[in-house]
Amino acid sequence: MRRNQGCNPLDHQLARRQFLAGAAGGAISLGLSGAPAIAEQVKGQHKRILQVYLQGGVSQLESWDPKPGTEFGGPFRAIPTSVPGMHISELLPYTAQRMHLLSLVRSINIKTNDHTQGRLFMEKGRRAGEYPYIGSIASKYLAPTNSELPGYIHISTRGLTDSTSAFLGAQHGQLKFEGVKPPKNLALPNGLNETAAARRIELRQQFNKQFGQGRPKSMTESFDVSFEQAAKLMARKTFFEKQPDGKDLERYGKHDFGRNCLLARALLENDATCVKVTHHGYDSHAENFNFHLEQLGEFDKTFSMLLDDLHERGMLESTLVMVYSEFGRTPQINVRYGRDHWGTAWSIALGGCGIQPGAIIGKTNEKGTAVVEREVDAGHLFHTYLQALGIDSTNDHDIAGRSIPIGDPTAQSIKELLA
Amino acid sequence: MKVKQPDTSGALVAQKPLVESELIEPAKTHQVAQFKHSVPLTSCRVDPTGTYVVAGAQDLDIQVWHLQTQAQRTLKGHTSWVRSFDFSKDGNTLYSACWGGDVKVWNMADAAPQALMTIPAHKGSARWVRLSPDQTKLATCGNDLLVKVWNIADGELLQTFSGHERHVYAVDFHPDGRHLVSQDLMGVIKIWDMQTGKLARGMDASLMTGYDNKFAADMGGARDLQFSPDGSELASAGITNVANSFAGIQDPIIMLFDWKTGKEKAQLKPDKTFQGIAWGVRYHPDGFLIGAGADRSGKGELWFSKPGEKEFFHTLKLPKAARGLDLLADGRHLVVPHADGSVCTYRMTAKAKLFGT
Repeated sequence: MRRNQGCNPLDHQLARRQFLAGAAGGAISLGLSGAPAIAEQVKGQHKRILQVYLQGGVSQLESWDPKPGTEFGGPFRAIPTSVPGMHISELLPYTAQRMHLLSLVRSINIKTNDHTQGRLFMEKGRRAGEYPYIGSIASKYLAPTNSELPGYIHISTRGLTDSTSAFLGAQHGQLKFEGVKPPKNLALPNGLNETAAARRIELRQQFNKQFGQGRPKSMTESFDVSFEQAAKLMARKTFFEKQPDGKDLERYGKHDFGRNCLLARALLENDATCVKVTHHGYDSHAENFNFHLEQLGEFDKTFSMLLDDLHERGMLESTLVMVYSEFGRTPQINVRYGRDHWGTAWSIALGGCGIQPGAIIGKTNEKGTAVVEREVDAGHLFHTYLQALGIDSTNDHDIAGRSIPIGDPTAQSIKELLA
Repeated sequence: MKVKQPDTSGALVAQKPLVESELIEPAKTHQVAQFKHSVPLTSCRVDPTGTYVVAGAQDLDIQVWHLQTQAQRTLKGHTSWVRSFDFSKDGNTLYSACWGGDVKVWNMADAAPQALMTIPAHKGSARWVRLSPDQTKLATCGNDLLVKVWNIADGELLQTFSGHERHVYAVDFHPDGRHLVSQDLMGVIKIWDMQTGKLARGMDASLMTGYDNKFAADMGGARDLQFSPDGSELASAGITNVANSFAGIQDPIIMLFDWKTGKEKAQLKPDKTFQGIAWGVRYHPDGFLIGAGADRSGKGELWFSKPGEKEFFHTLKLPKAARGLDLLADGRHLVVPHADGSVCTYRMTAKAKLFGT
């Protein structure tokens, strides 16, 4: 049997043309609708999501649920945080001082140890089926209609092939940035000036009008929105090419993750709706402790600086912050000093918009091998994210006359975590 | 084919009715004793008088076994796993360093040793501790990127050497007593002059690190470091050829450096089918080198090489991962801490024969 090392083929760079190609495929999707009712729920505020995805499965024992001195506790100690009585791993000293802005869910059991299944469950709130990612839902229901940026942006030095928008339409699909490199093809093609480009747009619109006669609006809408978004990206070429401030780089770190988080801050400041930053390198089947030292050492300060900046800019109240993985890691330490995949009893951190700060939800046993209190799965978390953002997750997507439940009807939000 | 293994659960003393060969023959190395702890071990050290073996484990304690009587003691007080030890020449004082950053000093003459002194040596793990040749100073290194020298009499910090940019994995004194060497995650070896308090020069062990593109992380570092008895050569054990370090797919390596020139002298590697980490290296007084390592499958090996040769002349396969190595002063025995919680003693002579046979 092939051992699952986690680890899927890559890798996908952003290109405007690629984005448009995806949008074209989306034209046959079920189209847009249902947004007005949700817009009423969120009361006109622009609410956002910052997703920090610790790819590969961060160890809960080396992060949010340390068990020092126990059989599987590992070599690291627990340290107090800014929340009395709450301790996290000593690998997160900066984050520890900001835990009054965050909360922990320590009782997740997703009943899978597979990277893809875990990731899809955590993103979609469903174990199976074609459902949209949380970021695509945010794009559809939270993005301002006049937004200059795509609704769901993913910054990563590599990536996985994800179809994130499902039936919501390709314009709500994830737009991937390859680190801080500006998106490709932002400039007009050689030989095409602005006047000629404008005439091409007019021609396309005429064709659309003709084609759309007697046909559902949805058949051309995805194309139109995607072309508009691409045009807006092209108009903001200088935004993507701007180099970060030296002082900011000192604070965030000059490594990829630091630069990616600075871009995430700039995007959120410029009204992006969901920004996901992936930090790679947690699938530690060997040398778990040395790798977590390195990776969390990079994550800790950078994430803390980003959290500070969102807080100081008054954006945290309207930004849901998620620090999550596809699963945790086994309490048992293997012969290579590694920890393997573990979806049975692990943790995430949440904060910001709609989340009660400083809370600890659920509990694992002394050795960290099982949840003993308030077990939840990704379905419960999915409802919680949306409820925190003011979206009634028990409602339905209204897709061309079909009603599809937004959240899994068999799961509920974690009410005590909501502010 | 299954081969019946001899009963090796006893200590060295259990072999007394047998006639042991005194001739050192590395190719005839065999296990003669085993001491067992319930938790996987991380490191070990034997005292210079050959009385004790001490071991760190995946817990907070230090296990001490008397090599002759098998009596076991447990030293408590560390707040994290113990990764490195050293002994005073008389074997009476033990120094231990833990992932929590502390170095503790123990009087082994006490029936139930308590820590005599705790030095908060590093912010972040204290990865290594070594006693100076003149027995007056300790050298430590850690995750605060520093190398430090301490007065063993009172734990006073004497010198701090900064310059490493990544976690420092190991440090050792050169036998001249004036220089220190330290090696970090990226294979940067720095040679510090304790008289001037400055960096004297460096060596390049960058072969012993690798950036895992798939997972976007560095893997490397010295897992053991030792000078040859005459100080002319430095041996460093670790990894190379990082392919997928998150799954443990890389090659063990022992690199040898010429002290005078700082140039690489040899890259010693086991068979390509053995993928993992070289965790230990020792110079035998007779001139040959011994290495120990762990394969990603959980098995181990002991390697033996002669000076000037580029390949091991003998490999002893072990059924369990070797996580370190030390040599008894008699020159005939090795001790190895294993991932199954045992410390095994291996004798480098022909197997014992029953008296009269």
